[in-house]
Amino acid sequence: MDQRIIDFIAGLRAAGVRVSIAESEDAFKATGCIGILNKNEFQASLRATLVKEANDRPIFDQLFPLYFGSGGPPLLNLMDDLSPEEKQLLAQALRALLEQMRQNEQRRDMQQRQRGGSASAQNQLNNLMQLLQWLLQGQNPNPEMLDRLGRQAGVPRADHPFQQRWLEQRIQRQLGMQLLEQLLAQLPELLKQLGMSQKAIDQLVEGMEANREALAEQIAQQVGAAIARQRAESHRQQKQDGVDLMHRPFKNLSEREAQLLRDQVRRLAAQLRSRAALRQKRGKSGVLDVKRTFRSNLIYGGVPLELKFKTRRLKPKLLLICDVSTSMRAVVEFLLRLIYELQDQVASAHSFAFIDDLEDISQNFAEYPADVAIEVVLTRLQPGHYNTDLGNSLNTLMQRYAGAIDHRTTVIFVGDARNNYNNPRLDLMEQIKRRSKRIIWLNPEHPRQWGAGDSDMPAYLPYTHAIHRVSTLAELTVAVDKLLTTP
Amino acid sequence: MSEARQTIKKNLANQQYIASDEIATVIFLADQLGKPVLTEGPAGVGKTELGKVWAAATGRRLIRLQCYEGLDETKALYEWEYAKQMLYTQLLRAKLENVIGDAVSLKEAADRIAAEEEIFFSERFLLPRPLLLALTSDQPVVLLIDEIDRADVEFEAFLLEVLSDFQVSVPELGTIKAKHHPMVLLTSNNTRELSEALKRRCLYIFLDYPTVEAELDIVRLKVPDLAPELARQAVELVNQLRSLDLKKTPSISETLDWAKALVKLNANQLDQKTVETTMSVLLKHETDIIRAKRALSRRGPNGGTRRPGPGDFDPDDWASYRMLGNK
Repeated sequence: MDQRIIDFIAGLRAAGVRVSIAESEDAFKATGCIGILNKNEFQASLRATLVKEANDRPIFDQLFPLYFGSGGPPLLNLMDDLSPEEKQLLAQALRALLEQMRQNEQRRDMQQRQRGGSASAQNQLNNLMQLLQWLLQGQNPNPEMLDRLGRQAGVPRADHPFQQRWLEQRIQRQLGMQLLEQLLAQLPELLKQLGMSQKAIDQLVEGMEANREALAEQIAQQVGAAIARQRAESHRQQKQDGVDLMHRPFKNLSEREAQLLRDQVRRLAAQLRSRAALRQKRGKSGVLDVKRTFRSNLIYGGVPLELKFKTRRLKPKLLLICDVSTSMRAVVEFLLRLIYELQDQVASAHSFAFIDDLEDISQNFAEYPADVAIEVVLTRLQPGHYNTDLGNSLNTLMQRYAGAIDHRTTVIFVGDARNNYNNPRLDLMEQIKRRSKRIIWLNPEHPRQWGAGDSDMPAYLPYTHAIHRVSTLAELTVAVDKLLTTP
Repeated sequence: MSEARQTIKKNLANQQYIASDEIATVIFLADQLGKPVLTEGPAGVGKTELGKVWAAATGRRLIRLQCYEGLDETKALYEWEYAKQMLYTQLLRAKLENVIGDAVSLKEAADRIAAEEEIFFSERFLLPRPLLLALTSDQPVVLLIDEIDRADVEFEAFLLEVLSDFQVSVPELGTIKAKHHPMVLLTSNNTRELSEALKRRCLYIFLDYPTVEAELDIVRLKVPDLAPELARQAVELVNQLRSLDLKKTPSISETLDWAKALVKLNANQLDQKTVETTMSVLLKHETDIIRAKRALSRRGPNGGTRRPGPGDFDPDDWASYRMLGNK
């Protein structure tokens, strides 16, 4: 059982649930307390100890039966309900039908001269006989049998839930389910002709249907469990590959890796938030506020018993100006995600996106959740080619949104400062520097490339208080952390 | 083992709280493993209630700490009663004169006062706040930490320390260790991500809106005067309202309020008029009421007492809606 639980936890992790060592210990303690006799309690105890996010509950509910299921509902023996005469009739009917099918198949073989599919006709019929035996006598296929069937169908090579349906169907085909359909379609009629009572026929057919569903369910559980196991295994190997995506340059990320990182951003944000919060806490005990101390201690006859401190405003007011041309998209996306997740740590965040002109995108973020908002913004601003123009965008900013910049605002530029030889408008930069608290620049390019080609980075340098290279999520995180440190 | 769970369920039921198997199991575990329980879920599904009835069911004192933005250690743990200290200082002035009376030098006077110092920083002037109360209580207590997601992250970090060692240090007094481990229940409405460290330390229950049957049980328990037929209709209607895209989804407490209102009005059936006049008990936003009315007005002309056919409702709003109608 312990091994089962360990496997299950690995499966959860592979499916993206974060389970720590401490939590798995708790799971063992809890199941130790509860015992394994009552399945509901066992499930509840595992869920309470392993799943701490509402969104992860469906994953748990989906995986639990695969690891701790009974392997599906059992089949029932239908022969017990039949009288000896009825058994005779049934055997007769089945023989007749199978013979007929055999002849059909042979005729088809003769016509087409091909041994098609996964099994020849004879083979299929043999499988069908086996299947009928299961369904009528309620013999459950043993795990080894199911395992063998799974191997034939190619289950061991599957490691994604998408493949499950397809594999199930394949196994069912191997078992001869399709032929069974034909047979079940003709059987009631034939039994009637042979003189079996309608009630017995109905009961028999219903029983066979129920058994067939139970068998399908058993197969589904078998396949599902195998896939979950293999997924956990491949996940473990991936982890051993030691791919640290945090340090992988944005431009080399595959879509799947980017998705993994997106899931990470929330956790990163949580870490940054707690660091920022602790700084806030330290910042609170700042300078003694004499005026407030005196005023609030008048009740104690002027004896300063309660000290009041100046609370520093520690939350930065941000104005983001993001270049969303093709080369920059990944950086901008992750930055916006981070800022969005950290909204409670900034006094306000006003975001603009530009390629050749400036667009206010704050509205999108107010309306939609982060994922959707980023999607909307990036589709609204279709990247073109060689049309980036920061100078013009700065002009628009000063014309229309100059009011958004005051002495508390930190202006953040995200971009490679490649202006396609357009006018960089340093005069406007000068104005922004004067009006704002400070200017920070995040550039994904290596400092060696600053100034090469159409890069105006060196020209902008004198106006920035800090410039960070952000080509990976790790660098971006450091930059954002610094940003929150010095409001 | 299952008996223990049944007992918990029964105890909670005696307090008019219908607990699912899962809740009973988790509470049993919390007791056994001595771990805090974190409950999450939408507002009004009985998270706070659970803490209260748990205390009542186990006969323990309930100590509640309501979190809010800006809550800090001093407010949650202890405060010095400065006013009381001042008052004592004033009242004891004569005594102080005696103490310092024959002191020759300032230094000697100060030394003498210093010798008496600890009376002013003793538990006499310490005003314990919920956390300290829970730790220093002679009897085991249930500590309910409500809406932890509203507190700041630094408070959460502090709480984490308290919950891991069940001891706190008061600089003037030294370390105070808990006599009994209190049972701790935290609730969260998920307004922000809690730290993983805190989640790791807790057992977790997600309380969702109940199923129709479960909610019906609750209504029967709390509003026994409502006709069973009407109760079912009411609960089904609320259940449908929850599937609409509302600003504020009606919670269990609102269902109960509505049920009580229906009893007061002597309603004998849920016709359109009754529903529309009492709608404001269920829904708290004008736009929500309008939206719900619009969905309701698509019912048949005889006030929803007939079984609705297809086309009576906007399929988006009333998918799978089923009135019991005439028997």
